[in-house]
Parts: sequence; C-alpha cells; structure tokens
Amino acid sequence: MQILHNRFVKNRNYVLLFVSIGFAMLTLILSSCSANIPVQQVSQNPVDSLLEIKYSIIFIIHGNGDYLYFDNSGNQIEADEVTLTEAIRIALQNPYAEVFIFHQKPTQHFLFFFSLKDGEFYYYRNGKLIANELYWRDQEKSNLDFEVAAYHRYRKVTPNKLINIFLYFGHEIPEFGGAGYDESYSERTFTIDDLANELKGFTSDFSKFDLTILGSCFGGTPYTINKLGSYSNTIIASPENLHLSYFDLHSFEQLDINLKDSDVHSFANKIARESFEKLTKNVQTEVSVVVYDVEKIQPFINCVYDNYNSTLISLKGMTQENLATIEHCDCADIPAYQISTINNGVNIFYRPARFGRSKNKLNHSGWKCWKY
Amino acid sequence: MKSIIAFVSILLMFVLVIPANAGGKEELQKHFKNIANKVKATENATEKREILNESFQKMSKALNTLESTGMISDKDQVGIDGLKATMQENQDELAGKNGFERVSDNQLNNFSDYVVQNMEQAEMITISLVSLLLIIILVVLLV
Repeated sequence: MQILHNRFVKNRNYVLLFVSIGFAMLTLILSSCSANIPVQQVSQNPVDSLLEIKYSIIFIIHGNGDYLYFDNSGNQIEADEVTLTEAIRIALQNPYAEVFIFHQKPTQHFLFFFSLKDGEFYYYRNGKLIANELYWRDQEKSNLDFEVAAYHRYRKVTPNKLINIFLYFGHEIPEFGGAGYDESYSERTFTIDDLANELKGFTSDFSKFDLTILGSCFGGTPYTINKLGSYSNTIIASPENLHLSYFDLHSFEQLDINLKDSDVHSFANKIARESFEKLTKNVQTEVSVVVYDVEKIQPFINCVYDNYNSTLISLKGMTQENLATIEHCDCADIPAYQISTINNGVNIFYRPARFGRSKNKLNHSGWKCWKY
Repeated sequence: MKSIIAFVSILLMFVLVIPANAGGKEELQKHFKNIANKVKATENATEKREILNESFQKMSKALNTLESTGMISDKDQVGIDGLKATMQENQDELAGKNGFERVSDNQLNNFSDYVVQNMEQAEMITISLVSLLLIIILVVLLV
C-alpha cells in the first residue's frame, strides 16, 4: 500500500512538473509571438487604376524605442502606433495618392531564439491597399535599403508631375555617432546623414521632395536642415523638443481640397499652424514648429555652416558622459549666429513652456544650436 | 521533487517576467502620471502642493539611495544627475525658490501635466534599464 502511495506521489510530481513546464512554454510561445498580421502580398502586380496619381507620400515611422505618452484623458498612447493609424487613414482617404508606409518595430523573438521580422511595409494606391509585407530592417548601419528598394519596386511610373512628400516620425536623429537609436540594436547606428542618404535613394527619379516633414526633437539645426534641404524644397521641423503627439496631419486626409492649387508652401504653413494649435492646446511644454523655405535659408546656412560643423567636430571627440552635459540652445543666443539673414525663409510658430526656466522666452529664431 | 518543481517554476516565472518589465522609463512615466492624477483628484491646493512636493522628494531620495550603493556606472551617473537636477528644479518652481516664480494655486494641475510631459520628452537613454527599475522600486519602498 505504501509502495502504491509512493508511486502515486512520484507520478503526481512528474505530472505537476510537466504541467508546469507545459504551461510555462505555452505562455512563452504566446508572449514571444508577434501579434502582427502575417505576411501578405495583397498584389504583386496591381492592375492600373483609372484614377491618375497626383501625390506620392512616404512615411517612415520609427517605433523601436520608448514612444509612450499619456493624452489629456489619461490614456496610455504609443506614438508610433497612433502615427501608423493616421498614415493609413491618409492613405485610404486620398484617391489620387500613392502612399508608402514603413513601420520600424522592436525586435521580437519566437521561443527566445528565432527573431521575427522587425519592419512592416504598406503600399496604398488610389485609396486601396496594394501590398503589405513584413521585412528585415538593416541590422548594422542604417542604409534603409529595403525602404528605398520597396519604393522603387512599387511606385507608379507616370509622366505627370507628382507632388512628392516625405514624412519621418521618431526620436531626435543624431548628427553624429548614432549608436543606440534603436532599443533593440545597441550597436546599430542611425544619423541624419543616413536619413539624407535614404532621401537621395528615393529621389533618384525626381530632383527633390516638394515637402519633408521631420517629426522629431531638435530637427531645426543648420546641419540637419542643410542635409535634408539637399533633397527637399520645403521642410517642417521642430528646433526644440517635440512632444510625442507629433504634428497635426489632419489636412493630409483631403489633399484634393487642401493642395488643390499645388501650392506646397502654403500647405506646409497650414500644417505647421494646425500642428502648433494642436500642441499648444494639449501640452504644457515648449512648442516650436518651423517651416523652412530651403532656397531662402541658403544665405544663412552658408554663413553659419562652417561654425556649426566645427562645433560638431569638437563634440564628436567627447565621451558619451561629457556629451550628455552639453545642452541645446536657440542659435540666436550665440553671437556668431546673430546675423541679418537668420530670419530669412523661416516661418516660426513658437510658444514657450508654461513652466520652467524659459517660460518667459518670447521669441525663437527657428534654429537650434549647441551651447558649446 | 517538490523543490525541483518549485525551482523550475520560479526560474520560468523570472524568465517570463523580464520582457514584461522591459521599459524602465515607461514605469517612471507611469509613476509621474499617477502623481498627476492624484493632484487633479484633490480639490485643496495645499494638498496638491504636498502631493507634488512629496513625490519630488521621494524621487530625489531614491536617486540618492541608488547613488550611495556605489553600483552606478559613469554613464548612468550622468542620467541620474540630470534627473536629480530636474527634480530639484521642479521642487524649486513649486515653492518659488532659486529664481523661480512660485506656481500659483490655480496652475497646479497644469504643472503636474508639465512634469509628466517633460518626462515623456526627456531622452534618458543614458540611464540603464536596471537602474531605472531600481529607481522605481526604491520610490515604492521609500515612505
């Protein structure tokens, strides 16, 4: 009887062990699986629509980092997911547009060892989803090869002059170094030069983007704007911190009305003004949205570029610890930048933070520098 | 056998819990959001001030405690110094010290939002995940 009891106890222990491991494995599988939709090629060779294409829009949405914020109702928001939803809405509501959306996501693993693809691409044309696929992002230096290749693979070739628009959403893009931009790849680097190279890849068939929107913190520096300006006629960026609720893209939903006369510069000013209104209504921190007319800002850039570049060279030689103590400042606070052309070609929407040391700052030059 | 089961289960639990916590900064943001919610739920301005002041003090204390362990890397130290400076500035502004204009009673709700949004914008990539989690644990433990 005792033997039977011992066997029963022993068997019960084994059962418990297997149930425990089984439960843990199941949890592991469920937690490591991606909740994303599976890979799907909606159509490799879409039948050409009768509707002409007037607008070509590219979204790059970086989501491999901390993008959490709370809205005014206290809801927890992931900035990249909200931006993706908005980009898809824009794609669906514009029958005369083609829209490329690249969502750069964190690395996820299946059973700890098997990496899952960390990018998702959507291509919409005439308001319809044409392609949707998961892809591998560059694992080392960020050349953004897939993004550029996918754009050239799918884009509509047309003799019409298109309005080309590029939008980037993410954290501040470093002007040098760039390691650690992606939370999943500490060694991987991404800099503004990499983004500029990507723009070069996109624009190989046309001269420049009509409009580039840089939805990141500290985008309005002479170096960054000059780099992006090589491939864009008009740029919207924030020279200060930009809250993760980003810009207001509502006007993109009806391009046929808002860009009816093809006046991109006026459209850019409308987007900037609406973004400013949205941000000032919702955040207590500093708000700065600036429209840069690339042609008109050239005299200023030409005067200050060497100075700014030499600051960057000095900063490159610093350790990460020392670098973290160097702050940004309004370029107008530095004598070398106080030149007559500083306000040329910039349309500035600025409101200081409601609290903090700079709450009484009334104006901003629209340009961000390093306090070094 | 029971001890093996317990060991395996605990080990697996730890392994599974790590990914769930993979975001120290998020926890910090949630902490300040909870403080803001408490401030807004309170009618009395004096109490609002107390909630905010106590949260800044608690955070500063947690950062000091973490520093005193001597386990902080140079890289983390820079981030912790930055966070401490921010807490001090918040405290000074709340009380109207060190050149700051005192936050008025009717602005305390907005000030609590400002603290949260400032944290959302801050790029505290210089603080490691482990240190951020330790800060949160210390804030919870320190009464």
